[in-house]
Amino acid sequence: MITEKKSIFRPFTALKYLFRRPHTFCFPFEQKPTADRYRGLHLNDREACTGCGNCADICPNQAIAMVEQPDVAPCPGKKNELPQVDYGRCCFCGLCVDICPPGSLSLARDYIHIAPSPESFLAYVPATEASGGEAFVTPPDYSIMKASLSHRLADNAGFVSEMDYSLVDFERVPMEVVPPEDRRNSFVEIVKGFSEEQARREASRCLDCGLCEDACPANMGIADYVRAIWEGDNAAAVRVFYEKNPLPSICGRVCTHKCEEACGIGRRGQPVAIRWLKRYAADSVPPERLGEILARGPAETAQKKVAIVGAGPAGLSCAYYLALAGHSATIFEALPKPGGVMRYGIPEYRLPYDALDKDIGHIQSLGVEIRCSTRVGRDVTLDGLHADFDAVFLATGFHVGRSTRVEGTDHPHVFQALDLLREITRGGDVMVGRKIVVIGGGDVAMDIARSMARLQATRYGTIHTTCCCLESEDIIPASREEIDEAREEGITVCPARGPQRVEIDAGRIRGLHTVECTSVFDEHGRFDPKLNPENKQFFEADMIVEAIGQAPDLSYVPESLDEKLAKEGRRIQVSEDLQTSLPWLFVGGDLIEGPDVIHAIANGHAAARGIASFLESKS
Amino acid sequence: MSEEELKSAIERGVEAATATVQRPGRLLAAVPNAAAVTALILLKARGFEHLSAISCTDWIEEEQFELVYHLWSYQDRIHVMLKTRLPRANPWTVTAAPLFPHAQTYEREIHEMYGVHFDGNPRLTPFLLDHWRGPPPMRRDFNTRDHVRERFGIEERIP
Amino acid sequence: MRELELYFGPQHVGMVGNFGIVLTVEGDTVVRARSNPGYLHRGFEKLMEYRTYMQNFPLVCRLNVMDPDPEEMVYAMAVEELAGLTVPPRAHYIRTIVLEMSRINSHLFWLWGFGNLLGFDTIGQWAMGDRDYFLDCFEMLCGGRVYHTYIWPGGVRRDLPDGFQDKLRAALDNLERMLPDYDEVFFNNRIFADRTRGIASFTREEAVSMGLTGANLRATGARVDVRREEPYAAYADLDFEVPTMDAGDSYSRAVVIRREIDQSISIIRQALEKMPAGPAWKKTPNPFKWRVRPGEAYAKIESARGEDGMYLVSDGSDKPRRAFVRGPSYPAAILMLEKLLEGASLSDVGHIMLSLNIAAPEVDR
Repeated sequence: MITEKKSIFRPFTALKYLFRRPHTFCFPFEQKPTADRYRGLHLNDREACTGCGNCADICPNQAIAMVEQPDVAPCPGKKNELPQVDYGRCCFCGLCVDICPPGSLSLARDYIHIAPSPESFLAYVPATEASGGEAFVTPPDYSIMKASLSHRLADNAGFVSEMDYSLVDFERVPMEVVPPEDRRNSFVEIVKGFSEEQARREASRCLDCGLCEDACPANMGIADYVRAIWEGDNAAAVRVFYEKNPLPSICGRVCTHKCEEACGIGRRGQPVAIRWLKRYAADSVPPERLGEILARGPAETAQKKVAIVGAGPAGLSCAYYLALAGHSATIFEALPKPGGVMRYGIPEYRLPYDALDKDIGHIQSLGVEIRCSTRVGRDVTLDGLHADFDAVFLATGFHVGRSTRVEGTDHPHVFQALDLLREITRGGDVMVGRKIVVIGGGDVAMDIARSMARLQATRYGTIHTTCCCLESEDIIPASREEIDEAREEGITVCPARGPQRVEIDAGRIRGLHTVECTSVFDEHGRFDPKLNPENKQFFEADMIVEAIGQAPDLSYVPESLDEKLAKEGRRIQVSEDLQTSLPWLFVGGDLIEGPDVIHAIANGHAAARGIASFLESKS
Repeated sequence: MSEEELKSAIERGVEAATATVQRPGRLLAAVPNAAAVTALILLKARGFEHLSAISCTDWIEEEQFELVYHLWSYQDRIHVMLKTRLPRANPWTVTAAPLFPHAQTYEREIHEMYGVHFDGNPRLTPFLLDHWRGPPPMRRDFNTRDHVRERFGIEERIP
Repeated sequence: MRELELYFGPQHVGMVGNFGIVLTVEGDTVVRARSNPGYLHRGFEKLMEYRTYMQNFPLVCRLNVMDPDPEEMVYAMAVEELAGLTVPPRAHYIRTIVLEMSRINSHLFWLWGFGNLLGFDTIGQWAMGDRDYFLDCFEMLCGGRVYHTYIWPGGVRRDLPDGFQDKLRAALDNLERMLPDYDEVFFNNRIFADRTRGIASFTREEAVSMGLTGANLRATGARVDVRREEPYAAYADLDFEVPTMDAGDSYSRAVVIRREIDQSISIIRQALEKMPAGPAWKKTPNPFKWRVRPGEAYAKIESARGEDGMYLVSDGSDKPRRAFVRGPSYPAAILMLEKLLEGASLSDVGHIMLSLNIAAPEVDR
């Protein structure tokens, strides 16, 4: 190694440094730029932050605490909390950035924090006279706002979240469905469901943050049941379902999944498939084992009698929770079978009848009596129920279709979607036009269009069904999956069309005249459609179906009762316990919340609690 | 010598030994404590001259400590994890220092952290911990959070 | 002659790292030395039992401040073995580059300490200056200069940013250009040779019996290197030599380390050339729902100081049951150091310690 060659010129080799750039001294001075990925103090994009708390959960040093923001109102998909970082503990590893589902949290390119006084940002200070000799007491000047970097420049972000290198799994396990060509003329259920491996893999994506639980109208313990499914304990998952919802097989198929809309992973990726996981766990338990898994019969308390009008989701849910509380519930249902709009409105390919029978069957096994084909207002009266029962719950729902009332809609071949759907479910004969036009853009419109298309395919071998609605493509009220599946099945969906009149010639419908609808809501969000008569489109049809909205039928409430009921406009006013101004009368479901199954179920549960406390106060 | 040959040699030469080839280059051998020194001699004689480390795991639910001797042969390029179990209530075993001089330090640390006694080890004196009067801290029933709470009284004040 | 007990460290101008040696001296000769570790005992092995597998990842780089990436690497390798994870090929190459950069940084840091303890101040300043360019590269790659938190189970944390290759090549070019001057000033220096030749020498057998690995062992003539014995990352595809010397003294160890720097530069250049395309990470399971099946794994690599190992035991839960760290300086810092210091001159105490390339954080954990 040592080359001990000596030479008198060796020192002169140092001259090579004369023109080399030195390490430390730099003239003219250049500010050394911080690297793009620098890990400094935190930045949080308040708008994007959901308050989920995953950052706090993953921090290895427990440096992050979620602090409530009293001035911010929580809404579905956003908690009113923000992360607060204790820089005495933070090691700047950036795991919080990598776990953040919306990617709102990042680390800045500096370690500079400017504060007016130390007490404003130090959460814990040593003992002083003012603190009475107590150490680690938060000073009065301390404020999360001042400490939480609200002054920092938002464009100084360094280490940011990258989806390919994020700890969050943004992609859902795909759900296998029956392909469109096999669906055309069959009412077989479209969704095939998860296998065990798929379900556990999908459930493993859930980060346990609970945004979904806050958004669920029934406040189900979603994080708990998803974890149970991940661990392979479907029975435990089912037990969690039934704490808040006695219709899991149904909701696992048709719930409007507010949870999935709130899921933090859905901000940049695909939300956890909570509905399909519920379907998987509910289906995994055969009906005969349900009683054993739930391991509870009705409680033994004073047996009061409660009458429930309507065997829809609200009525069934109320009956179930009343039965658990030890009361005797009797449901009066006008139609031949229980289920309400769930059976008679939602087509079989979305909600097969055996799923309905399974859930409803379990409720009946608790001793709930359902008297079908018994219409209140005809076979029994509301006054009669008031006399024979200790309390009454009205849950008759929205089962009457609204009409556009444009010219020609009084023709016998202009139908209401709900009437047709009911008839299809009953197995009766329905008219199947060669060319059908459905007016409406909601889920009911999709339901009837897709049902009629199947009937057309079965009868004629071809499909000619068109759906037109006022709303433009971006605000069509039906769920995106319904619209996409409808189009896959060959239905034409035409947005932004307003019906003008039905053309009738020689007593037969020829078609529907429509004009362009340029806007549906005014600047205040009120329904006020604007039409452009110049842009005309004619849809050929021999049958027209209206599906523009549902309304209740409260004709069974006698006037003597009706005038005693407090109302808000036309809606019956109820307390938080769903009690009306008549203490023995409770109302819930569509009548209070508008058409939605999970809201109705939540209402039923709340009403059961309200009724139970009312009955207790009476005795 | 291959992993399989070594496995057979150990099972033949050491009483009640079971050996498993975990993957190429890794052999797990479990022996009762009485045979641990025999196993070490067998391995050293077969070219396992390098003791990487001695580690200890607390299997509290089984009421046992597991000592693992990590040995490496430069010739055969096999890493052997020689495992032996000691009762937690009275963890007493023999030192490996005469075979591998620097085992002394690993045993000293295990003594300090777990409370295992190595008979014949000339230096079972305090090593890393300063003025420590508590129980051997690496044991699973020693909770660091609880210790901080009791000793410093800080935790309550942190919301 | 009277015996005095002196405390060399932890508070001492000549001590490198938070380490202590209690010396009993008689005049200028050390009669007895006792290592006094523990000043950097942070309890990592216990801390790791309380954290989940992903939460443990930011802790491990702190196990060795001067050479943090090998610890991240052994942890990642152990977890990958336990959980059965695969690593994409590009990640292997990036890991190789990062590990070699860390080796260079560690050796330059060593050079500062070693030079200073022999009285050579200039070489240390140069080494730290050239090391800074590598720290700039790390800052660009992972956002941190010293604690990288970059190599994690499944691959690496981010892909190479644009401009990284150029910046790294510039740092390598600079170092290569400076190395002849390093030799001129230090390694070819007569004083360095006179002070280190024959000092603290031991044979291969003594080294192995005391658990020494790495450059300490290679300086005794044994051509051993974990990168050759159990190739990991991309080393199997790369061409490099394993330098050795014969005398086993302080001088040989220093020369081996110096030659390793050349090899590292060559390895990095090859890896940059051969870098495959593709992702740099394969997603690991959700950290909140990650349970590793029961098992155990011993992962080892060649860090700057020798065999760096981690013995990870999982019991089927989401936290490791036992994370045992085998720091390469551990055997060297206690028994070997005490043995070598016996009879040594007081002026040699510091440089003997550093010639064994002892890193205090690895000893204490």
